[in-house]
Amino acid sequence: MGGSSIQSFFAASRHSKAQALLGSTACVAAVTGAIYAFRGAVPVLSLGALYLFAVLPVAVLWGRLYAITVAIGSMLAFNFFFLPPEHTFRLEERTNWFALAVYLATGIVVSELAARARHRAAEAEQREREEALLAELSIALLQGERLADGLEAIPQAVARILGITHARLELDADAKSESRGLELRAGNRRVGVLLLPDAEQSDASVRDRFLPAFSSLLAVAMDREALEQEALAAERLRLSDSIKTAILRSVSHDLRSPLTAIRVAGESLASPALELSEADRHRLLDTIREESQRLDRLVANLLDLSRLQAGALTSRKELVAVDELVGQALAQLAGREASVRIELPDDAPIVNVDTAQIERALVNLLENALRFAPADTDVVVRAAAFPDEVVLRVENQGPALAESDLERIFEPFEGAVEEDGRQGTGLGLAIARGFAEANGGRIWAESHPLRGVSFAMSFPLAETRIPAQA
Amino acid sequence: MLVVDDEPQILRALETTLRAAGYEVDTAATGEAALTQAAVRPPDAVILDLVLPGKSGVEVSRELREWTQVPILILSAVGEEHEKVAALDAGADDYVTKPFGLDELLARLRASLRRTQREQEPLLEIGDLRIELDKRAVYKDGELLSLTPHEFKLLRLFAVNVGRLLTHQMILREVWGPAYQSESHYLHVYVSQLRRKIESDPARPRYLLTEPGAGYRLVDSA
Repeated sequence: MGGSSIQSFFAASRHSKAQALLGSTACVAAVTGAIYAFRGAVPVLSLGALYLFAVLPVAVLWGRLYAITVAIGSMLAFNFFFLPPEHTFRLEERTNWFALAVYLATGIVVSELAARARHRAAEAEQREREEALLAELSIALLQGERLADGLEAIPQAVARILGITHARLELDADAKSESRGLELRAGNRRVGVLLLPDAEQSDASVRDRFLPAFSSLLAVAMDREALEQEALAAERLRLSDSIKTAILRSVSHDLRSPLTAIRVAGESLASPALELSEADRHRLLDTIREESQRLDRLVANLLDLSRLQAGALTSRKELVAVDELVGQALAQLAGREASVRIELPDDAPIVNVDTAQIERALVNLLENALRFAPADTDVVVRAAAFPDEVVLRVENQGPALAESDLERIFEPFEGAVEEDGRQGTGLGLAIARGFAEANGGRIWAESHPLRGVSFAMSFPLAETRIPAQA
Repeated sequence: MLVVDDEPQILRALETTLRAAGYEVDTAATGEAALTQAAVRPPDAVILDLVLPGKSGVEVSRELREWTQVPILILSAVGEEHEKVAALDAGADDYVTKPFGLDELLARLRASLRRTQREQEPLLEIGDLRIELDKRAVYKDGELLSLTPHEFKLLRLFAVNVGRLLTHQMILREVWGPAYQSESHYLHVYVSQLRRKIESDPARPRYLLTEPGAGYRLVDSA
């Protein structure tokens, strides 16, 4: 018999007095029957020893009280059925008294020993379970599971150890719990409170043994979590510091380039010393107009990014055809749409997205692709519908990206510090990714040595069938 | 005139403006293109952006200096001080910081062009200073100043490069030799000694000006 089935047998029998009584009676009856069968072959008096086989299992299964009862009952049954005069509780011979007394004493001693062994086995099993739980808890908590996630499972396991149906755990991690219950202490420090239902009584010796170890473990886990959070906060501060430096550097460059062009163009137009032709004037005015738009887009990008990073973005989704999205995005390219080639399927797929946001994402992908496209090459926009998603691609024949850069370029301000001196806003791709993901889409980059760089954006295909009458 | 910048708008504005100011203008958007262009049609001056795709402004300055003394004017931005000094060390003549004014750019450009036209004369007059290079003598308001050999070498370096920004490294290399390139405290000491002799008010110098974080410049303030 395996350990677990013994355990379950104990667990079941503990709650069933009737079962114990019935079992005890059955044992006595079975031995009585056996003696009855053997009495022709063996002297009946010696057969009384067989009743030990009734006492032993009862002692092991149901404990001392039942075993002693069975010992006494056995002697009474032996006397009643087999010792002359039969079918009375009286005895004729004095020697039979002696035998009965010896059998009874032996039965009681055996039952006591068996019951003790049973108790020790049960206690060993209990300790084993306590230790197993502590080990399991410490592994889980030290491997980085959060205490807060275990507030359901941990008290349940503790309740099983204490032999009660349920318990609740309140930690003093943040505020001192006001609830009254079993205080969990580690050293002089209160860790939390274990709330047990009043009606049920747990084993005090188990409590005294198990709870201090459990409390210390909780205390260690809580300290570790506190330290981890401090470390995280410090890391976040450090990161936000380096991001701020990157922002300053990138924004400084991105603001100064258009500002420089505008200032030079403006001062040229105003300068009495310069002789500008009509065409020159137009060129300078165009520069001012286009660079002002660029500044405007940069400011919009910064605002978008701060909204995305603050998590304050909401998407107002609507059904829109992909070709319409692409058309709107092209219209925002301010004169550079001539070098963009569109390859869309005839039946344009429909997606369910926030039009303004996905347009911005597309514009950013297009601007990035145009920026790195070699002169006299086209940027291509493609769309393909798959059974459950639509993939939009913006491709150029620009320089291939290293495998390690395919993800990195979506980090804010990464474009600003390209090793080869290429400069982007460092914002556009990060914003495109933020918008795509806010609309349930994905965005990624692929690089082929021969075919250039492809930025892909995918969205779930919208359910466009007209729903049945509701 | 060769203008090098990877921003097409800046390139366009500068090209239009400089052409209207009477210069002939070529443009290049990358460092490699700039080097090729400079070899094909040697310019009188190069206006060079620091941050370029491919070869950086620093590398372009270094490679140009291997074969030409053409004035190089660096376009830099705040946050690029380190690269700016590297470009000046590599041989660039001067810099303007974006967003620069048109007048500032044209003035620096004219100053750079003038320097190459200046012949090596034995006698230099800067304000009330009179420097006789051949006799190793310096006069202020007609009075002979007594300079140590190192002070004279320092002043001579500034004087033949009047108006030009000289970086710490460049000065140390020229005056003390390549082994002293990183000993900038030498330089601070000698500059302040020199200022006490040539300036009327050393705390508010008129001639020997400090360019914070970059170097020094001797100006003809007269």
